[in-house]
Amino acid sequence: MSQDANVKLISPSAVLKQVAAAIPADFRQNIIIIGSLAAGYHFFGDNSELQVRTKDVDCLLAPRIQAIPAGQAVADRLFAENWQLRAEGDWAKPGSAATPVGDLPVVRLHPPGTTEWFIELLTVPESESDLDRKDIRLVTSQGHFSLCSFGFLSLAEFQPIPTPFGIATARPETMALSNLLHHPTIRPERMSGLIAGRSIKRSNKDLGRVLAMARLAEAKEEDTLLKWPVVWAAALQPRFPNTWRKLVPQVGMGLRQLLRPEHEADLEEAHHTCANGLMVSQSPTLKLLQVTGERLIQDAIEPLEQMAKA
Amino acid sequence: MNALHFECPIEDFPGFRADAVLGDTVFEAIIEPRDARRLRTALVEIARVATANKVRRVILVLEEPMMTESRLHTEWQGIAAVLRPELFIKLSMAIRQSGKWTGIPFPPAPAEFEVLDEILRHELSRRPVGAGRSVEAHHEILRILIHQWLLDKGPIAVNSLMEISGTSHPTVARALERFDHYLKRHSDRSVELRIFPREDWARLLAVSDEVRGTVRFVDRSGQARSPESLLRRLRQLQRQDIAVGGVLGAKHFCPALDLVGNPRLDLSIHCGRKPADLSFVERLDPGLERTIRRDESPSLVIHALRRAESLFQPGEDGLPWADPVECLLDLHEARLESQALEFLNSFPATKGRPL
Repeated sequence: MSQDANVKLISPSAVLKQVAAAIPADFRQNIIIIGSLAAGYHFFGDNSELQVRTKDVDCLLAPRIQAIPAGQAVADRLFAENWQLRAEGDWAKPGSAATPVGDLPVVRLHPPGTTEWFIELLTVPESESDLDRKDIRLVTSQGHFSLCSFGFLSLAEFQPIPTPFGIATARPETMALSNLLHHPTIRPERMSGLIAGRSIKRSNKDLGRVLAMARLAEAKEEDTLLKWPVVWAAALQPRFPNTWRKLVPQVGMGLRQLLRPEHEADLEEAHHTCANGLMVSQSPTLKLLQVTGERLIQDAIEPLEQMAKA
Repeated sequence: MNALHFECPIEDFPGFRADAVLGDTVFEAIIEPRDARRLRTALVEIARVATANKVRRVILVLEEPMMTESRLHTEWQGIAAVLRPELFIKLSMAIRQSGKWTGIPFPPAPAEFEVLDEILRHELSRRPVGAGRSVEAHHEILRILIHQWLLDKGPIAVNSLMEISGTSHPTVARALERFDHYLKRHSDRSVELRIFPREDWARLLAVSDEVRGTVRFVDRSGQARSPESLLRRLRQLQRQDIAVGGVLGAKHFCPALDLVGNPRLDLSIHCGRKPADLSFVERLDPGLERTIRRDESPSLVIHALRRAESLFQPGEDGLPWADPVECLLDLHEARLESQALEFLNSFPATKGRPL
């Protein structure tokens, strides 16, 4: 639990530009950046003074059918340009044909000359029932890796936002929905690394990210949360045609739990994550984060629940 | 800082709801108590509440008691004689007479005035017009007369005044007597204002908060929603008993009004004889909290309308407009004095007779 010290402030647009430049042009269309870098670029990519604190740049390879060829091409190009495997215990070396797929490391590469951040390759699940982590073998010039998919990553594939660099970023609405669905309850598991010196529950970190995105969205355009349920329904229905109505009640469960008075400590962890991550340049108060959660429930979650009942 | 809560249940007293609670202090309020028996019952009630472990003080708040000061002291001594000292020490009475605070056994501290005023404002807002306070009925009738006059509607029948205000003939007659020097009386028992009733208007402004049960809400998130955003959400609620007043309402009646920006949303809620239900505020923004502090800038201000007819004007988008008199009061309340005067002078009745 020592990575914390290495987490630096980075400029979303500068990193996005560097990642895009390193990816073969033919495969840029298959890359969707997700996570705090994507959110940071969306909300303040045009302001070089606003930065985010993150160490991982999550690259989603989509569509699924293109994931393996795109993953191979991207990884090989990065190896050729001297990107380095992230040293991470047993996961610092690629596997071989003999390594069981579940034991293969994920592709995590630092750009040349810095260990401040790294990219990680992921892909979307194959079907709506694929909610658990699934690994597929990715064979590269340097050895065997895992390309993993999990949960509700397929939602991030919905209408991604193109960037001038040829790669796209996921929509904040769909990233928020993915996180909300992923955490119907606040689970006790903690992040493997520290966040600004503190051990944080993964659920609090991810739900905190939802609150940060909702707050930044409101700051950019008042009442924009009222549009989120429409995007959510449009993203959910084609990706979860058989189960979306059953999934909808799950959307608000974790957030509602987070906002209950007895979960004050969890909300405080979520706040710590926001203040030291996506919102590091415009730190919110705890009260603002709480009110943002309540506004999100009213403006987006409740209307989505009504849509599902209709 | 502890927040003031209204109509609170008290632990160990099932079914009982205190009029207000602030931290470990409980308040019971009586408006215009007229007889000693009512006062005695209230004193016994607060003594009972004082037995609760978590209660440190219980204050009986009296508005305009219709009893002499010596009678109040006599009743106080009477209850002292039958209570245990450790219980009695928790009790006190705060009395507002002609807007000034006194108390038994000691007057409330000036720092408590704001809270006590708010408690009485809340208590008064729960009462229907005509329920005891003839002064409120006067103000109601005054507002109807001004409404009629501003919109150049001509004379109004006494029966119509009774119907709109929801008050009895004697109440209307008393009010008209009071405004007699401003009135033109017609042979068909209708009346109209001759001129704008400046002095009575000034009196109404002085007590407007109490008369209209004004309640203020401030943003506690640090990122307040704009009045337009609150309005969008109010529209979704499709309420016909809530109307838009304040700057937006004034602009509706007088688009040329010299007002740039809109710092807050003023709403009038027509609650008739029922207490105003303000639960809809949370639907406008969960970041809003009620405040009693006048040095805070409210995002939302709500005024209760207790007369029988609202005089709301239908709006194009389904949300009604408050009548121009309410809008005028809202401008004064927001300290937009020059705009209030400009607004008043924009009506036909004042043409050629600037006020």
